[in-house]
Amino acid sequence: MKIYTTTVVAGVGVLLLVGAAFLPAQQPGAASTAKPDLEGGWVRIDFTGSGNYNGLNDSVAPAVLTPEAAKTPAPTRQGGPGRAGGRPLSFDENRQHTTGEAYIVTGGGCSLPGGVEPNSSAFHVVQSNDEVLIVREGPVMPRTIYMDGRPHPPLGRWEPTATGHSVGRYESGALVIETVGLTAGGVPGGGRRTPETKLIERYTPSADGKRLTMQYTWDDPKIYQKPHTYQLMAERVQGGGWAFEDWCDSSDPTQQQSIVPPKQLP
Amino acid sequence: MEVRWKHVALPLAMGVLFGVVVAAQRAGTPQPSGSNARDISGFWELSLDGKNVPPASLTPGVTKAMLDAHAKHDAHAILWCNWLGVPAAMDSPRPIDIRQGAREIIMSFEFNATPRHIYLNRSTHASKDEYDPTTSGDSIAHWDGDTLVVDTIYMDGDKGVTAIPGGGFRTSDSHWVERYRLLNNGAVLSVVSTWEDAKVFRRPHTYEFRYLRAPKFYEARQPLACDPFDEGRAKFLSQPPAAAAR
Repeated sequence: MKIYTTTVVAGVGVLLLVGAAFLPAQQPGAASTAKPDLEGGWVRIDFTGSGNYNGLNDSVAPAVLTPEAAKTPAPTRQGGPGRAGGRPLSFDENRQHTTGEAYIVTGGGCSLPGGVEPNSSAFHVVQSNDEVLIVREGPVMPRTIYMDGRPHPPLGRWEPTATGHSVGRYESGALVIETVGLTAGGVPGGGRRTPETKLIERYTPSADGKRLTMQYTWDDPKIYQKPHTYQLMAERVQGGGWAFEDWCDSSDPTQQQSIVPPKQLP
Repeated sequence: MEVRWKHVALPLAMGVLFGVVVAAQRAGTPQPSGSNARDISGFWELSLDGKNVPPASLTPGVTKAMLDAHAKHDAHAILWCNWLGVPAAMDSPRPIDIRQGAREIIMSFEFNATPRHIYLNRSTHASKDEYDPTTSGDSIAHWDGDTLVVDTIYMDGDKGVTAIPGGGFRTSDSHWVERYRLLNNGAVLSVVSTWEDAKVFRRPHTYEFRYLRAPKFYEARQPLACDPFDEGRAKFLSQPPAAAAR
């Protein structure tokens, strides 16, 4: 009888251990690390403000700035390589342009810096084991999100870029990206950012995988009284699609064209 | 004696099983890219000794005037920082970030070349009526054992740098097949390219590049700057060295 008890106890133990082998590796109390399927092409869908940059910005709740940050003027976009010679362009993403007022958005150069938020072209995501790569449809700086557990580099040894330094993890069915080291500039909703500002993004696909919610949270006690949060939506490019190429030739003078905001319909 | 044997055997069996469980758990966690012969993810750089490029055998129809015209076209593309396209992008002076997913591989370059998209989930090319030619073309791929075979068509013969290593140039009718294979336990990536184009090559033109895997914690850098409106740069690229120095 004693032998039977030992056998039964050992058998139960074996079953428990074998069962455990098929459970996902997870720390006690940690959120689910299930990897959401984000791979493929996505196109931003904006429910408001279409056809008007200011309208898009207006759809974001205003950032609550610290009194010190509020005193500093909103940053203007600097011209990159172009016929404008790197001087500030007249496009200020935080300023309303009146109907009929011409302004230049590029200096004619085709080398754009990219950024953390997708533009109106599709963006494409691929998830390898130790990195998530997000690219746009042109030779702009890609987003390289390290998933291998590396820390951010000391900011004193990091030259700020338009996409910063990003590390990521999977949490509760979302890709969570933490970014620092961004170039100083503006943030939708009248916000600001410096290389020290921390951006947390949560990329969460819908249950059917066709929509993607991208939540942005900017946090910097020197700039914001409370974290500044908003979200953008994207729609998946359906199967069989492919990436386009936004061709641009700097030798073409029409690359440097003014934009004249059209009269808006009532 | 029988009881003593059980006291030893049962804990031993439990210990072995525990080891199996731990191994199974580890197998479920992400492993560094490159440890799998069918995963070419990583940062890959081309060294000076990484190219084996024989001269291409060109058709008689490829005249010196045609070659000169293509060389002039390529010089214009470089001067004006046009998207370089393939195969020039694969000869990058910086590491190439190659990331493989379940349905697609993306290659990202640290200079002015658009990312390459290589589709693993399509067995046929896009329809010619629907696909607008690009500097990278339409690439589809499949695994043949441990070799990734990438098939590319619909490259735009009028955009970017068109020169092909070994001689010749790409046209809108060129057909490019690459065979990717990991060597030296994943430390080296061999890419054997074969170009076919009846208007350019007398016979298929084949060459091989071997890329070295960058260190594990390599950090991607800002793309190399390219300012087409930098007058000093334009002078440097378009005038003989002595004149440019003045």
